[in-house]
Amino acid sequence: MRLLLLLMAAGALSAQSRDLAAGRAAFVSNCAFCHGTTGEGGRGPNLTTAQSVHGRDEASLRRVITRGVPGSQMPGFGNFEEPSLTDLVLYVKSLSSRSAGGQAIPGDRAHGAVLYQSNKCAMCHRIGSEGSVFGPDLSRVGAGRSAAYLRESLTKPAADIMPEYQGVIVTLRDGTRVSGIRINEDTFSVQLRDLTQKFRLFQKDEVQMVQDAPRSLMPPYNLPPKDLDDLVAYLASLQGGPAGNQTRQAEGIR
Amino acid sequence: MKPVFPALLLAASALAQNSPYPVDVPAARIVKALDEPQNWLTYFGDYKGVRHRALNQVNTANVKNLRVDWIFQIPTTGRFETVPLVVDGVMFFTAQNGHAFSVDARSGRQLWHYQYKPAEGTADGLNRGLAILNDRLYMGTVDGHLVCLDSTNGQLLWNTEVASAKAGYSITLAPLAVKDKIIVGVGGGEFGIRGFIDAYDAKSGQRAWRLYTIPEKGEPGGDTWQADSWKRGGAPTWMTGTYDPELDTVYWGVGNPGPDLYGQDRLGDNLYSCSVVAIDPGTGKMKWHYQFSPHDTHDWDANETPMLLDLPWKGQIRKLLVQANRNAFFYVLDRTNGEFLMAKSYARQSWLKEFDAKGRPVPLPNTEPSEQGTRLCPGLAGGANWMAPSYNPDLQLFYVPYREQCDIYFSTPPKFVEGKAYWGTATRGVSDEKEWGVVKALDPLTGEGKWEFKFYHAGWGGTMSTTGGLVFAGDADGYLVALDAKSGELLWKLQTGSEIATAPITYMVNGKQYVTIASGAALITLSLP
Repeated sequence: MRLLLLLMAAGALSAQSRDLAAGRAAFVSNCAFCHGTTGEGGRGPNLTTAQSVHGRDEASLRRVITRGVPGSQMPGFGNFEEPSLTDLVLYVKSLSSRSAGGQAIPGDRAHGAVLYQSNKCAMCHRIGSEGSVFGPDLSRVGAGRSAAYLRESLTKPAADIMPEYQGVIVTLRDGTRVSGIRINEDTFSVQLRDLTQKFRLFQKDEVQMVQDAPRSLMPPYNLPPKDLDDLVAYLASLQGGPAGNQTRQAEGIR
Repeated sequence: MKPVFPALLLAASALAQNSPYPVDVPAARIVKALDEPQNWLTYFGDYKGVRHRALNQVNTANVKNLRVDWIFQIPTTGRFETVPLVVDGVMFFTAQNGHAFSVDARSGRQLWHYQYKPAEGTADGLNRGLAILNDRLYMGTVDGHLVCLDSTNGQLLWNTEVASAKAGYSITLAPLAVKDKIIVGVGGGEFGIRGFIDAYDAKSGQRAWRLYTIPEKGEPGGDTWQADSWKRGGAPTWMTGTYDPELDTVYWGVGNPGPDLYGQDRLGDNLYSCSVVAIDPGTGKMKWHYQFSPHDTHDWDANETPMLLDLPWKGQIRKLLVQANRNAFFYVLDRTNGEFLMAKSYARQSWLKEFDAKGRPVPLPNTEPSEQGTRLCPGLAGGANWMAPSYNPDLQLFYVPYREQCDIYFSTPPKFVEGKAYWGTATRGVSDEKEWGVVKALDPLTGEGKWEFKFYHAGWGGTMSTTGGLVFAGDADGYLVALDAKSGELLWKLQTGSEIATAPITYMVNGKQYVTIASGAALITLSLP
C-alpha cells in the first residue's frame, strides 16, 4: 500500500513537472518577447518579483493573461484555453515563488526625482497630472518596465520605440520638414503632433514625402553612473495611482 | 367619393410589370451568370470566380463623379464581411450574427429581415453571404447549420444541422448552389475538427453526400497522418468553391492541418489539407487533388479563390485553375486533371527552395516554427487570404489583393480538448518591420506582375473588375478605391469610415449602374449623379 502511494506521488510529481515544462514552453513562445526568457522583465515587467499590482495568485494571473491589462501594453491572450492556460499560469506563479521579492534596484530615488526635474523630463513626459503628453506617460512606468529596460531607454532611447510614439517627418513641397509623433497614418493622409503639441494634418498628395523618423525623438542621456542609477530608481518607483493613467483617460488623452 | 380605383389598378399593373417578386434563379441562369451583368447571382458573381462584370457606365472617364447613393445600416456589431446578391432589382445579403435582409437595390429600402435563432447557445459570428437557387436563399450559420429561406418574405423553410458547434465547427461562407444541390464547407481548423464538404438537397435539406477532407486509416491518403491525428486534423473548407458546368466539376480549397503550428504529432503530408480538390457534384467523389503546402505548419491554407480560366497555354487553349495561394505563390493548374503547370511568387517569401517536376514544393532548411521563434515570409495571414481576386478577360490581367508581411512563428505542443483552440502556439509580427497591403495585376500565364498599388496597412479587402476599365478594392483604413485596370493608377477614392473586410460588387437596375461595399455597420451603394 505504501509503495502504491509512493508510486502515485511519483506519478503526480512527474505529471506536474511535465506541465511546468509545457508552461515554460508556452511562456518562451508567447511571453518572453516582453518579459524576458526567464521572466526577468524587459519591455514588460519583471515577473520574478513576488509583488505585482495585479496580484500573483492563480486567479489574478489567469485574468491578466486572458484579458490583458487595460491601459498598458499587455494584450489579452484569449487564444489560451485549458489545459494550456493552467500550465502557463502555474509556470508564471513558479517564477515569483523562486524569488524573495526581486532584486533591489540600486540608487537614490529621491535624488532621481531631483534629476527628473533638472533634466526637464516633464517637457515631454507626464507623471500623474504633471508634465506633457508629447512622450510616453511615466505614471506607472515602474510597474510596467524592468529596471534594465528603463536604463536602456535613457541611454539608448531608440532601442525600443512603442508604435504609438513613432516619430514621423513630413517634407512639404517647399522643402520644409515637420516632425512629430504620428497620431495616425493611412494610404492617403498623415496626422501628427508636433513638438509644440499642435496637431498637424497632411494629405500625402499635397506634400513631397512622408518618412518614419529614423531615431527616437528623445535624445540619449549620458548621465554619470550614479545619477543614472538614481534616475532609474526613481522611475522604477513610479507604480501608478489614481492620478496616473486614469487621469489621462478622464481627460481624453491617449 | 372620387373614382380612385382605375388609378390604383393602373399603379398595381405598373408595379406588377416592374415587380421584382417573385425572383426566380434556376440553375441554368447561374451557369450563364456572366451573360446577365446587371445581376450578381453567386458569392463570386458567377461560377468561375472571376468577379468581373461587363458594365461600363461607370468608367475611367467618369468614376471621379461616383458618389454615395444610399446606405443601409445593419442593427448589429462585428465585422461586416458580406457580399450581397442582386437579382432583377432586388438585393439579398447577410450580416454577421445570423441576420439576412432583402432590400430594393435602387434605394436600400428594406423588404424583409430574417434573424436566425439557434436552438441553444449563441449564433454570433461573421458571415460572408447567401446562395440563391430558384426562389430560395441559403445561409450558413456560425453554429454549424444550413438554413433555407423563402426569397419573397424571408420565412424559414428548413434548417439542417451540418456539424456540431460544440465540436468546434462553424459555417461562415456563402453556400454554392449547383444543379439541385447546395454545397457548403466548414470552419474550425483551429479547433481540432475533421474537415469536410457537404451537399444538401435544395428542396428538402436532406444531406446528399459528404466528402471528408481527411481520409481515415485505410483509405487512400490515410497513411499521410500519424496515428489517430486524422481525427482532429483540421483541413477546413471555410470558403466558397467554384464550378465548371462543362466538366461538371466543383473545385474547393481546403484549409490548414491542425494543430496549426505544431506538426510533430501529425507527421506526413496530411492530405488533403492545404489542397484544392476537384469533386463530382452528383456523387461527392473526389476526381483529383493538388496539395500546395504538404505538411503545413504555417497556417498557409488553400481556401483562397480557385478561379477558373480558359486560356492559351503554350499555344493551346486549356481549362486552367489559378490560385493566388496564402503561401505567397500564384499557381496555374490544369483543371481537367490537376496537373501542375507553373507557380511564381507574387509576394515576399522566404520558405521555398524550388518546385520539383510534379509541382511539389521543396522548402528551405530552418523554416519550421520553433519554440524560440522563426522569422518567415509570408506571415501567418498570408499573402493572399479570403480577400477576393478578380480577372479582366479583355486585358488578361488577374488582380490579387494581399498582405505584404512576415511573422515570427512559434511552436509548442498543444493539448487537444474537443471544441477548444488547438493551435500549437502562434505568431507575432516582426517588430520594426513595416507591413502593408497590395493590389497587384498579374499576367495569369506567367505570374509576372504588371502593376501594383500599395495600401499603407495590410488589410482584408477584396477586388472587383469591370469593362469600364476599373478595379475596385477596399483597404484596412476604410478606403474604397477605383484603380485604372491597365495601369493601377488611382482614379477615385471614398473614406467609408470603417475597415473594409470584404469585396465590392456591381449591378444595374433600370439602366443605372451601382457599386456596393460593406463597411463597418453600413452597406454603402454608389452611383453616378
